[in-house]
Formats: sequence, structure tokens, C-alpha cells
Amino acid sequence: MPSSLLFGINNEGRVHTLSTTGTMWREIPYAGQEFKKLSAVPYFLWALGGDHQIYVYVHGLDIPIRVREEAYENERWLPIEGFSSRLLPTDRYRFSNVDGTVDRSIDKIRLPSMAWQWEGDWQLELTLDGQPLDHQGWTYAVDFPAQYYSKKQWKSCVRRRLWVRSRRYSAMNSWCAIAPLHKDATSEPFIDISIGGQSVAGAEPGTMLVWAVTSHNRVMFRTGVSTKSPEGARWNPIPTPIGSEINQISVGPTGLVWAALLDGRALVRVGVTRDSLSGESWVEVRGPGDNLKIGQLSVGTCAVWAVTQNKQVWFRKGVKGEGAGLSEELAAGCGWVEMVGRMAQISVAANDQVWAVGADDRLVYYRSGVGASDLTGKRWKALHAPLQSRPSSMCEPSTIAEWEEQSHSAPTAPTSLPVGDLASKFETQPKNPKAWSPVHSVGSIVGTEVHPEVDESVWSDGSRESCIFAEDEELGWAEYEAPWSWVEAGACTVDPTQLPNWFAEVGGGNNHTEMGEPWRLRILDDLKLRLPTKDLYKEWQMAVDTTSWVHTGEARVSWGSGQFVDCVLQLEWVQITGTLTVLNPDGASTMNLFSLNDITCVQCCSEPGSPRLGIHVPRHSPSLLKFQFSSDAQLEEWQAHFATTCGRLQHVLGKPSEGSVWAVTTLGDAFIWDPTQLESNQLRENDYYVQKFDLSGKESPIKVALHGSFKPGTCLTLTGCIGDDADRIGINLDAHSTYRLRHKAHSEHENTCLHFNPRFVESHIVRNSMIEGKWGKEEKEGDLPLKRGQEFVLRIETTEDAFLIYIDDKLFTNYRHRLPPSSVSMLSIWGRLQPFKLVIKSPEIILDPLNLYWRQVGGHLRRVESCRVGVTWAIGYDHTAWVYTGGWGGGFLGALDSHNVHPMTDSQDYRVYENQRWNPVTGYTSAGLPTDRYMWSDATGKQKRTRDQVKLLSVKWQWVSDWMIDFHVPGGVDRDGWQYAVDFPGTYHAHKNFTDYVRRRRWYRRCAVATTGPWQELGHTKLIDVSLEPVKDDLDSIISVWALASGGQAMVRTGVTRSNPAGLGWEHVSSDQPLGSISCGPYNLVWATGKKGCAYWRIGITENKLEGERWVCVEPPNGGQLKQISVNVIGVWAVDHMGRIHVRKEVTTTFPEGTHWQTITPDPLVLNAAPNTTGFKHVSVGRNEVWAATNGGAILRRAGICPSNPAGSGWFVGIPGNWQQVSVRAFN
Amino acid sequence: MANDREILREVWEGKLPISFQLDPDEVVELQQPDQFYLMVPRLSYFPLVTDKVRKHFLRYVANDKQDREMWLEYDGQPIKWHYPIGVLFDLLITSDDQLPWNITVHFDKFPENQIYRFNNKETVESYFMACLKEADVLKHRGQIASNMQKKDHNQLWLGLQNDKFEQFWAVNRKLMEVSSEQEHFKYIPFRCYIDDGYRQKLIKPVAEDGRRKTLQDLINEMFPGRNVNIKTHGMIPPLETPLQWMSEHLSYPDNFLHLCVQM
Repeated sequence: MPSSLLFGINNEGRVHTLSTTGTMWREIPYAGQEFKKLSAVPYFLWALGGDHQIYVYVHGLDIPIRVREEAYENERWLPIEGFSSRLLPTDRYRFSNVDGTVDRSIDKIRLPSMAWQWEGDWQLELTLDGQPLDHQGWTYAVDFPAQYYSKKQWKSCVRRRLWVRSRRYSAMNSWCAIAPLHKDATSEPFIDISIGGQSVAGAEPGTMLVWAVTSHNRVMFRTGVSTKSPEGARWNPIPTPIGSEINQISVGPTGLVWAALLDGRALVRVGVTRDSLSGESWVEVRGPGDNLKIGQLSVGTCAVWAVTQNKQVWFRKGVKGEGAGLSEELAAGCGWVEMVGRMAQISVAANDQVWAVGADDRLVYYRSGVGASDLTGKRWKALHAPLQSRPSSMCEPSTIAEWEEQSHSAPTAPTSLPVGDLASKFETQPKNPKAWSPVHSVGSIVGTEVHPEVDESVWSDGSRESCIFAEDEELGWAEYEAPWSWVEAGACTVDPTQLPNWFAEVGGGNNHTEMGEPWRLRILDDLKLRLPTKDLYKEWQMAVDTTSWVHTGEARVSWGSGQFVDCVLQLEWVQITGTLTVLNPDGASTMNLFSLNDITCVQCCSEPGSPRLGIHVPRHSPSLLKFQFSSDAQLEEWQAHFATTCGRLQHVLGKPSEGSVWAVTTLGDAFIWDPTQLESNQLRENDYYVQKFDLSGKESPIKVALHGSFKPGTCLTLTGCIGDDADRIGINLDAHSTYRLRHKAHSEHENTCLHFNPRFVESHIVRNSMIEGKWGKEEKEGDLPLKRGQEFVLRIETTEDAFLIYIDDKLFTNYRHRLPPSSVSMLSIWGRLQPFKLVIKSPEIILDPLNLYWRQVGGHLRRVESCRVGVTWAIGYDHTAWVYTGGWGGGFLGALDSHNVHPMTDSQDYRVYENQRWNPVTGYTSAGLPTDRYMWSDATGKQKRTRDQVKLLSVKWQWVSDWMIDFHVPGGVDRDGWQYAVDFPGTYHAHKNFTDYVRRRRWYRRCAVATTGPWQELGHTKLIDVSLEPVKDDLDSIISVWALASGGQAMVRTGVTRSNPAGLGWEHVSSDQPLGSISCGPYNLVWATGKKGCAYWRIGITENKLEGERWVCVEPPNGGQLKQISVNVIGVWAVDHMGRIHVRKEVTTTFPEGTHWQTITPDPLVLNAAPNTTGFKHVSVGRNEVWAATNGGAILRRAGICPSNPAGSGWFVGIPGNWQQVSVRAFN
Repeated sequence: MANDREILREVWEGKLPISFQLDPDEVVELQQPDQFYLMVPRLSYFPLVTDKVRKHFLRYVANDKQDREMWLEYDGQPIKWHYPIGVLFDLLITSDDQLPWNITVHFDKFPENQIYRFNNKETVESYFMACLKEADVLKHRGQIASNMQKKDHNQLWLGLQNDKFEQFWAVNRKLMEVSSEQEHFKYIPFRCYIDDGYRQKLIKPVAEDGRRKTLQDLINEMFPGRNVNIKTHGMIPPLETPLQWMSEHLSYPDNFLHLCVQM
């Protein structure tokens, strides 16, 4: 669960926050303003000041709020003048928006308020769809509006270019005043404020709704409030029924509004929908009893709670926020239920958890036991979180006086807070000091919004006094002796099953104090001292043997891709070895049996409702077994058994090494392959890695895959015996074939690095190479030292420029390389000879991707990225960033054998399309043609989908929303979410045309998973991509971390090192286009792909300026839009939208941008590596390795990469493990 | 909540060295069998850990007696198998000098008047589960144990039988929780072993005035005016140890505190 904040106001009017991951209330830096009321949604806090004005506090955002203002400059070609700014009367404005309907004169585009600052001046946009433009950014067209082209043509009569300028909300982390309603701020001050509406069904993401009540009991709705515009645009009065004087108002997350009237009744706003954010009309609701007047209300998603003036607490039953916009009953509910407890104020969170301030003791209370099935909960539980001691000097009169001085003297001067001063006083604050330090900005409390109506005149002498320092401010607060006056939970998400550590002093087990109690320590010591002579019995047998056991259970098994059949599974563990036996259902006869040593990977491969486990045994046929279990619990039990036994066999216990390769499956499971484990298992002779093959049982022809890289120094020794009747024999060192795609069929062209071909009739040995199917010139000098019927020893050594060929330990000849030796991937032997033994010695580790043992680590993740020093980050499906804690185990293992794991959550959306066809009588209906797609289907229309029968993947997943119409589908939708097209399948658009016969709309439903894993949440900023690279070679080097926020903005993380893997904070790096993928390696080379498919690289990166200077656009490969990119010292690799890989060529240190792209299309080997493969999905470039994942889920390792052939020669195929991403950046 | 893992683990790990020997009168072979040495978990029961002992001695006894129930004897007295092994040890052995614990194995003349018969491990299991439920009645009016599923009961039993701490505590944790309404158990399940038997009494973990009761309070209520020592798990817990904590952390797997009273 991501951390979130509870807010409170104490009796002095100071605002405090309590983080769900913290245990202490922390005060928001006091800047001279006390507050009466608060209302919050995540990141945005609105408050009613002691001066009865409204303030906004934006906090916790790592990405600045930036808005790009655009203005198109339009020109028309006139016969004599050429292109001129004189347009025809019917034409659009000279400066306009994109479709020409709005005047966008550059000089009239102003900052909306003083909280905003420009970032630079107006600039020309110099690209069109990723392609660079010349002619000062002009694009040409026949007429307005039409298709614009980058080149001028003879018929181009108009042209336009785009001016852009970004503005930034600079009042982050400080209070920003909202302009008063009237020039005289005291004439109609406010008495209540409420923010909500962050999840109005179908509304634009980022929408927020703000309602307020004025001292004249008028209701105000703030228009235009969103995450892009935190202060909104203006107040709009909302009429209320005659005779209703509103006292208090509350808006829930779904936009549902309840208001309390002075006479004790309540009003409910109905008709709040995405089309009408302020609702349609009011409905009256009576108070709970005749003399029970509602004093205060709080609205959640499906709950409304009220406090009456006699301090009783009431729950309104029957309210359902999700349907409240359409149904009056669901908005108003059906009755009041009295709750126990006396409360002064109440606040309901978005997940309907309830908080309150006690009427008598003024403590903050939490309602325990509130859940979807029981919205009223069980009992009130008092919070016992201490206040963090306040930096006392903060409220020293001198400080206040000091800035009071400044604020009075310079209403327009932005610099008013003693910034340095405050920062030093707050350095004692834990974590993220930046979050609360007041920013040196215009938005600080003294900088008040400029409003077109009131503008500077607000700051007349009289109003200034009341605006900031109401004379009576202290009086209002002095009467409270009690600690809390207000609690606000709107931004707080607490999981009732995992309560934060806020209730420490409640409950029986007061552990913290118990741990140090003398009686406890004595008991512990005494327990440890039992059996002082235990060394005597070390060799004694244990009564209960925990080292051998058998686990048996029923399952269904599928061999390869076949049907599932019943079986009995038996996992036997004896001391240090294990066997898996698959028995027929009778339990007597064996279907299959293999050693646990042969298992390289155990993966969950469940489908909804079918808990399944995939067991990879690549050395067996079939190489993948799938077991289906009758329940998730059984699956987890077996998964844990396999994980512990296989882990013990492979000696992968404890922390994985820093050079580990990480991979993630499509189900979100993360796996590690630890190279040190292979290294320790591989045979060594001196400095060489050795691989031995016994070929004595095999018959020629034989092919042996060679996974060593055949770098200089590699030595291959083959012993064997030549047949008595041998004529020609061949011993080839083959490389991967070259495949060419012609007419949708692949033609294969073989490559042979060394063809060694003794010919006994002709009595010589032919040496040759085949390059792309063509033999070169034969070399046949020398005699024939081999004899028929005799044994031989053939040794081939690789040097920089030649193969040295030894026969029976005597140098026979050398053969100059014609193909790079590193491309050797196969030894093939043919002809009449019996090989005995093959020994390969390699200076580098011999790495067969099929043989790697993949070990699971907990968590539900979409991407994992690592780097040389082992710092590893991950991103979940909900874009939460996680930092690896160095632990292991987690959810899939249970509590056993886990270390340093934390709770994690993630969420995903299920999507269903509703399809309809038009017919002349009834219009659009769900009656399709017989040939049509399913009326409820997936995006392709080929798979039937129904909303009612969607099963979740496992019991760990839970629905967190209902089915909702998705209004954010590419192509746009109409007001009911429909998209129209001429026919299925087609291109869909938002507006119905005359020719449109079909329409569709998308529904979605969100589900969430709760698990545990060795990951710690990084913060609130959502990420789509991340890349890490140490700046220097030493282990404690600063690590350069580049990431993309969910909007595609680039960021660098400061202060990341091995000892502080989470770093300190984000710094935003602006870019013209939203980015889709980013990669960094070495630290001074950063590449990214734009959302439109082109690539960018960053120039000006130095050790002292890791964020570099600017982006340079690199054109995408012909016909491809780049989706993902990975760079490192060995090259720049990218995957495009068609599943091809592109490698940047001619990359040198002086021209790191290279000159062109070389394309690698998936060859038949890749396409056959896993079912349903059509291309590559992800590529990861390490220091000297390139690995990729296909969209069929196979993992691949690129062979033959060398300086002369940076794109490599072919792929070695690993297991088809449903992989969707791999990171080899740590592997060295 | 029983969440002091360090203590729980240490209690669970407690083991005793036991040397088994067959009653020489029952040996029919010429050669006397070797003694059989075993490390036995304190928390377990003898019938669960003596399969190997039986196997070892079986071939030395007369054929017609091989099918009979094996029983154990120490110091001339048959051992009560239904007490946890650690309790028996604390009752019978007073000094570490007596280690290893020498136990005589019999196949003949089952002392039916003195100890219960146990035909198989199921008998032990049902006795164990009965104790566990009794303890839950005392702690939570029996609500938790009766709401558990069969598989939870199995897991408790198998965890004990196979000496698997995690497996056992994954379920036992629930039995050691306090309900959200109350911050302590209703009564503390305990047995005070004295004079060849044990005594029980309803004792609450907190006093009328809300003060947490300690072991001293328990002694005062059980043995008013007498000065006694309490031994459990081979050690003497300090008298100021709170009863609620003791029940959570020092109970045997059957959820009872087994307290050996030393006058």
C-alpha cells in the first residue's frame, strides 16, 4: 500500500500531517497563517484560513506541474508578397489554436496567477510527427484546414508553424492564497471548503471538484480545478433552494455533494456526472430526529457520516457514490443510523474509512472494522501518535515580524520567506526534507493569486491586514485546551487489515517496552542456557527428522501443449537430493520422473480460475510441464516446496549477487539468475572455463551447440576414430544462418566459419568458409596426417586473426578468419568417424541460456532494472516505483525463508468492448449480423468476453471497482463512451458519421493484488521506465538514475548510491515530447524514445552535471516507431512497434549518435522459440551482452557480438517462460 | 499477540538427550541390544518420537510380544505419555547431572492401571486437540478453535509432529490473538503439577483494577500463603512475569501453561 497522509489541525490552528508509514505527527512549516478547516485529496490540500480565506497547498509531487501553451501562427500565400500574415477574412486568426477556432495571440497569453512562472520564452516547434522540419518550422497545406506537410509544394497556399512556451506551477509545497470573491476580501469571506471528485466516473484524469460556502451562506463551485491547474479558474455561485442557508459542505471522491443547513437539515446535490461536474439540482434530506440538527457532514465513496449538534454520530445508509450521479436514491440514501461515541468532527476517506475528533477529549479516533460489507465498523480506536517536537524558533516573534515586514512591503515581490533560515531549522526532519521546505517562490503565502477582477487592488492597506493577519486570529483558538480541532482523511488510504503503526499504546501486547523488561531478558537467557552440555549430544540422532520428507498431492498435468490429465504428484526430498515423480491417478504407475536438479525454473502460469505451475526441464522432452491444481492454496504450497528444494539444490540461498540478471513474466512475477552460481558450478582449469562433452555413444552426423563466445584463447579439442571406409569427413565450426525474408517466407543462408574437410581419396584436407550460403576459396595445402581406422586428436585454437589447427598435437596449419570467430555457435561433424570426446576451454564463462536456474523473488512487477553495483529498481503495473531491499522470498513463499520483505500492492484493469450494429428500424442494437464479432468481445473482436463472468487470476486478487465505461480510449469517444466506425474492424472515431454502421465502447474494471516482496516503495511519483548506471567503476560510486514519470517526463534521481539505493529526490528534465522509454549507459550516454517513435539522445552530460544539457532528436528507422531502447558501451539497441530490433551503427566515441539503424527481424529460430511469437518485445543491453524477450515469452541471448560486428550474428534461445522483460545491465 | 519470535523460537527449539534401553528381562536374543540415543523435542509427546526406538528394539523381544504396545518407564514408574515430554522431564529430573535421561523400554506387562492405552497416533492427536480446545474455551470462549477449519487443525498437528515451527505458528498465532474488544484472554489456561497430578483454576490475566497479573498473583491464588517455585521449559520464570505474556509465549503446543510446582 503506498504511503498516504492524514491531516489534522491542532488547537493552535497549526496543520500537521501523519504518514501511514510514519508514527509521528509532523507540522507543516508554519508561515504565519492559522487554519480552521482542511479538505484534502492526494497531493492537494485546501484549507480555510483563520482569516476566512481559502488557501491551496500542493505537496509531494516530484514532477513539476507544467502546462505547455501552444499557438499556431498561420500565413497565406499571396501572389505578389508570397507568404504573408495578411489572411483572408474567412480565414482563421493569425495566431490560433490547432483547429483555428480560438484566437491565441502570443502577447495575450498570460500566466493564470502569480503561482505560475514561465519556463523560457516562446519557441518554435521544429519537428512534425518526429521528423525534423526546416524553413523555421513552417508546415504547408493546400488550405485551412487540411493535411500539413513538411515540404512546400506548388499547390501550398497556406502555411503555419507552432509556437510553444511552458509555464510551471511554482508554489509547490507552500500555501497559495485563492483570490477573494470581491475586491474587499472582508465583504464575503468563506466559512467552509471541500475538495473531492478525484474519481468522478469517466471524467478526465486529474479532475478535482472544489466547493465552498461563504459567510452569506452562498455555495460556490470552483471551476477548472485539476492537477494541471491546482487553483482552478473562478468561483461560480450555485443557487440553493429558497430558505436554505448552507453552513457546511462536503464533496466525496465520486463528486457526490452533501451540505448541512443552518436549520439542521441537509441538501444533497444530484446529477453530478462527468458532463455536469457541479450537478443539476438539490434534494432535501431531513436530520436524524426532530431536535437533532446536523452540524457537520463528511462524504466518502459509499458512506456519508454526520455529526449532530449534540455531538452524536450518524451514518447514512443506502448511499452509493458510484451511482449517485444518476440516481437520486443512491445519492441521498435511505436512513440515518446512530453510532456510539461523541464526536466533534468527522472525516470519511475515499475508501470509506472513518476518522473523527472526540467531542470531549479532542483525540483523533479511527473507526475500526469498516469494510465493504460493514460500512459502519466496530468501534472507535484512539490514535496515539506523538507530535514531532516543533522547531521552536519557528514561532519566535522576530521571525514572524521579519517576514511580516517583507510581506507588507512587497505584495508583488516573490521572495518573502526566509528560505535559508527555514531550511536550516527543519533539517532535523526525517526523510525527504524537500517535501516540506517552503519553496522560494511567488506562491508562498504572501504571494496571492492575481485575478482579472481584483488584481492588484486587493492589496490596499485595509484588506491586507485582514487577509493575512486577522486581528482576532488567536482568540478563536485559545478557547481549546484540547489537542486536536480537526482531522482530514480525504488524502489518506488506510487498509483496515494492515493498520499503520499509529495505535502503539493501545492493545495488550506492548511490545516495545516488553523487549527490554528484565523478566523477559532473564527468561530468554535461561532458555538459552538450558542443556549446558549440549555439545556432548551433537552427534545424536534427532527424533524428528526434518531433512527427509515426501509431499504428495493430486494435480492435473499437461505435457508440452497437450491437454491436462489427472495425476498424482510426489515430491521426495532425501537429505540433499530431490525427485519429482508424476504418477498416474491410480498412484501406482509412473508417468514421468526426474531429478529436481533438472528443473531450471518454476513459474506460476495460472489462468483465471485455473491455478497452474510451469516446470521448466529444458534437458527433457517435453521441456515444459504444467501442473494444474484444484486451488490457489495448493498451488502456493507446491510453489513454496519447489522453490525451497530447487533453491537448496542449486545453492541459491540468501542474497543474490550484484551481477544478477533480472526478468519479469507477463503475470508480474520477478525472477533472478545469479551468474556466480553458474560460475561456481562450471569446471575450471587454470584461467579457463571448461565444458566437456562425451560423444562416444553418438553417431555421426552430430551437432553440438557451442555457447562459449570463441574469443581469442578459446581452444576446442576433439578426439575420435576415423572409420575404415571413410572417404570425406567434415568437422565444421558453424555460425548462425542468415535469414532473408522474401514474400513472407524466410530463406536460410548458412554461415560456416571453418570447414575442416579431410578427403582420403584425394589425400588432402580442404579448409574453407561459407558466407551466406556461398563457399569461398578452398585452402588445401599440406598433406593428410589423418589415417583411416586410426584415432586422432584435433585441436583448434582461436587467435586474434586465425584458427590454429593441431592434429595429434602437431601444428598442421592456420586458417585466417573470414568470419568473426565470435560468431561460432555450433560444431557439426559428419562423415564416417566416431567422435569420443569434445573439450572446450574458454577464457570467458560458457553460458547456455537454456541452462540458467531462475529463482523467484516476491512482488508483482512490470519492469525490473538493475545496474553493475547491484542497485535494483522495479516498476509495478500501477506505475509505483520500488527499490530492491536486498532481501529474498516474499508472497509466493509464505513467511518461510523470506528476508527483508514488505507488503506490496499492485492493480490492473480488465477491459471489455461492447459492440453494436446499426439497423434502420431500431438504430444501434446489440443484435449483430451473423458474421459479426461477439457483441461483448476483446479489442480484436475474436475473443468472446462477458462482464459478469470475469474471473480473477487468483484469490490474491480482488476487485476494487465496478464495471465502468472507459472515456479515455484512443481515437476519442462520445458522451456515452461510444466510438463509431464504418464496419468491424475499422478505425474508430468519436463522432457518428452518416456512413457509420457499427459502434463500440470500452468498459473497464480495476482489480488489485496484495502480496509481499523484498521491495520498498520509493515515493508517490509514478514511473513508466527507469535506467540506472554507476558513474564510476568503484562500488560506492554515485549512480546516475534516469526515469520517466507516467506523463512521459524525464527525471533524474539525485543521491543514489549502493548504500542509499532510493536516493534523495527527483529533478525534472524537460523535454519537448513526452518520452516512452529511457536508457542510460555509460552514465554520459542517455537515449530515450519519444511517444511518437523517434529517438533522442542527451548531450552535455558530465560527472558534475548528470542531467546534461539538451535533447537531440535522432530520426527513427525507416517505417518503424521506436518503443523501447537500451544502450550501453556495446551499443544502442531499440525495439519498434512492429517487434523488430534496430541497432545503431557506426557509433563511436566522437559520434555517439551513430549514423543509421541496422534492423534485426525475428528469424525462424526466434519465431519457433515459443508459441505465438511474432517479434521482439524487449531488449536489454549490458556491458558485453545483449538479451531480449519475445512477445511469445522466450528469452534470447545475442551471439557473436564483436567490435567488427556490433549487431551480432544470431540468437541463442532460452526457456519460453512467459517473459516480458529482462535486465542484464548488472551482468558483467 | 504472541509476537516475540525470539522467545517462541527458543521455546520451540528445546531438546532433550534421552538414552533408551530395553528392559533386560524382555530380551530374548543372546546379545543385549545397544542403548538407543535420541534428541527429543521438549514440546512433543513420546508416542510421536519413539517409532525409531521401537524399530530398534523390536527384534530383541519375543515374537508374540512384538505387536504389543511399547511403554516407557523411569525410576520404576511408567511414564505418562499424554504429558508433553518437557513437562515429564521437569517433573522427574531435578538436576542436569542426570543427563542423558535414561528411560527403560517395555513391551510386556502394560500397566493399564497407571497409564492410558494409546493404540495409535490418532489417540494422541485427539487428546492434543481436546486440550487445545479446552484452552481456547478458557481464552476466547472457544470461538477461535471452533471456527477453524479441519485443515488448520491438521496443520497444527502436523507442525507439531514434524517439528515445523513456521507451519505450527502460522495457525497457532490465531489462537494466541486477543479479540479486538478485549486486550487480554478471558482466563489463562494453565496446569499446576503437584503431588502426582495437576490442578487448574479460573484465573484472569488482569486484576479487578485493570492491573496486569503476574506469576506471583497466580501462585498467591493457587497456593495462598505458601512459598513455591514454578518451573517450566526447564527454567524458573521470574515471578513478575505477566500472566498474559506467559500464556502467549510460554504455553506448550496444546495452549496450556504447564507449570511444575516445587515446594
